[in-house]
Amino acid sequence: MAAEAARQRRLRRQRVMRVARHAILLAWTGVIVFPIFWMISTSFKDAGEWVAWPPHWLPHQPTLLNYAQIFAFGALDPTLSRQATEQAFTIWKGLGDAALVCTTASLLALLLGTFLAYAISRFNVGGKYFRHTILLIRMIPPIVVAISILIYYAIIIPYATTALLGVRISMFDTYAGLVLIYTVTTLPFVIWMMLSFVDEVPYTLEHAARLMGAGRIEVIRRIVLPLVASGMVVTFLFVFILNWAEFLLALTLTHPEVTTLTVLLNKFQSAAEGRLYGPQAAIGTIVTIPVVVLGLLIQKHLVKGFSFGTIRK
Amino acid sequence: MAETSTSFPIPTPSANNRTASGLGRWLASERVFRLIPFLIVEGLFVLTILVPFALTIWISLLKWRANRPFETARFAGVENYQAVLSNDQFWLALGRTFYFAGVAVALELIIGFLLAMLVSRCTRSRRLYTTIFLVPMMIVPIVVGYNFSMIYIDSGPLNQILAPFVESFGVDPRIRWLSHPIAAQWGIIIADIWQWTSLTFLIFLSGFAALPRQLVNAARVMGASPWQTFWRVELPLLKPAIVIAVIIRSMEALKLFDPVVLLTFGGPGTSTQTVAYFLWEQVWVFNKFSFGAAASIVLLIIFSILIFAAIYMLISQRRPVEGSTP
Repeated sequence: MAAEAARQRRLRRQRVMRVARHAILLAWTGVIVFPIFWMISTSFKDAGEWVAWPPHWLPHQPTLLNYAQIFAFGALDPTLSRQATEQAFTIWKGLGDAALVCTTASLLALLLGTFLAYAISRFNVGGKYFRHTILLIRMIPPIVVAISILIYYAIIIPYATTALLGVRISMFDTYAGLVLIYTVTTLPFVIWMMLSFVDEVPYTLEHAARLMGAGRIEVIRRIVLPLVASGMVVTFLFVFILNWAEFLLALTLTHPEVTTLTVLLNKFQSAAEGRLYGPQAAIGTIVTIPVVVLGLLIQKHLVKGFSFGTIRK
Repeated sequence: MAETSTSFPIPTPSANNRTASGLGRWLASERVFRLIPFLIVEGLFVLTILVPFALTIWISLLKWRANRPFETARFAGVENYQAVLSNDQFWLALGRTFYFAGVAVALELIIGFLLAMLVSRCTRSRRLYTTIFLVPMMIVPIVVGYNFSMIYIDSGPLNQILAPFVESFGVDPRIRWLSHPIAAQWGIIIADIWQWTSLTFLIFLSGFAALPRQLVNAARVMGASPWQTFWRVELPLLKPAIVIAVIIRSMEALKLFDPVVLLTFGGPGTSTQTVAYFLWEQVWVFNKFSFGAAASIVLLIIFSILIFAAIYMLISQRRPVEGSTP
């Protein structure tokens, strides 16, 4: 009898614990979902509802006007322009620039990083602690990088090329300049992630291929690359997300020509006419969708990427 | 791996000679081949990191503002460094950055650890919770800043939720949170916690998943209470994960910039200026290039100490983590 009562008590305690656990986890789910919900809800609100008091949790008159505005081609026709939003802020330029810069930089970093990761893994290039010294680059505060790169791009390179070549070449506010700095800042991530993938490829396979007469390039192409291909896709997506989210370097090294999405979103903040919450929410939603989708695809590898491979699953 | 790569003779079969010319064979020989990617990447780093830094040091020794022609710059010695070191705003911004990072990272660690512990006890709902909890990490920081600026505005949902409490004190519920220095600071900290708790959660979750079941079960069989199991067995085994989470989050939190721009623009006054924002303002708004260059060198020296400590700790923590996972 006593044992039965104890069992009952334990079961009841377990049930209480389970309810408490789910209560806490659901509360945090609410905390996480709410700001995202609010952004999506605002993106469907008309100008009058953006700052209505009390706030409307769901738009009373849902409208696609914000989306129509940011996706408009050319100048806004009178039906789309509003008192507060005369200025045309279309998303196309930002979307195109962001896609171009992020894709190019991520591919370049992937190419260089994979090759170097292979060399580090197989030949211990650069010594035992080379992989850790690479981390240094990532840990330098970006503002420090931004200042020195600004001086480099906007002053030294034009000055030097004028003196030496007679032509003024500036890297400031160019696609090449932004791609180059994105490549360099994401290389440490690529090297670390690819190292963990390349390390998993058994060296005996390469041995065998070499002994059977395959050349070095052939070994990489036919043995190593197919085995790390999925890792390369994961790494590419991870680096793409990082570049997509980058703001400080894009803000400081480009103006007014090259505009990535994050810079575009910030422009609404400082727009002279006051804040355009609706279009901002619409852009935010558009910016968020691709990265969340890509991020969920590589969910398992995120921890590897963010922790520089120090934690492995 | 390196030892094995050189310890056996690689035959040069005749099939290879078909394609490999003299140059090709030279490039494919181990001595040269291993250096190709190394040299390319090192060259890139030298070109884009080292050379700009050398130039930054040089600029920091000049007396020059960007709105004047570069030819008018003159050598000023350590004048800029004196200006930086005696600038109160710089030190205040630096202190503020460490304060933000300290508070945010501490709370992220506690919340992330708790959530990971609870989720790792779940069975069926584990995947669902993990997926939801990871979402903030993937959202662009600028968008997070926007989201929270929307929540904090005077007619936002936060004030609506608080209205019943606030009105009972006879205060207008439409509070402008970001206009009050301390509230604005917490506004930024909360936005940071919202976004990056997902990372500490993820690190701890994989830490919990890698716990050796036998040890935990053995402790339980030997009569340890859940409390004892946690403090004496699980927590020591999770120490590497904790160290890594602290290092990674602190290094990132000290770079805090995006939410400051989106939420407060450093204000009200200078109460939310982080060191990154301070430098950005000096260089891009006031055009004080030489001052900015000197300040960035000072900042780099301060950070280098932290970075070396962090990397040393990462190296010493790497081994146990690897050892604990099969």
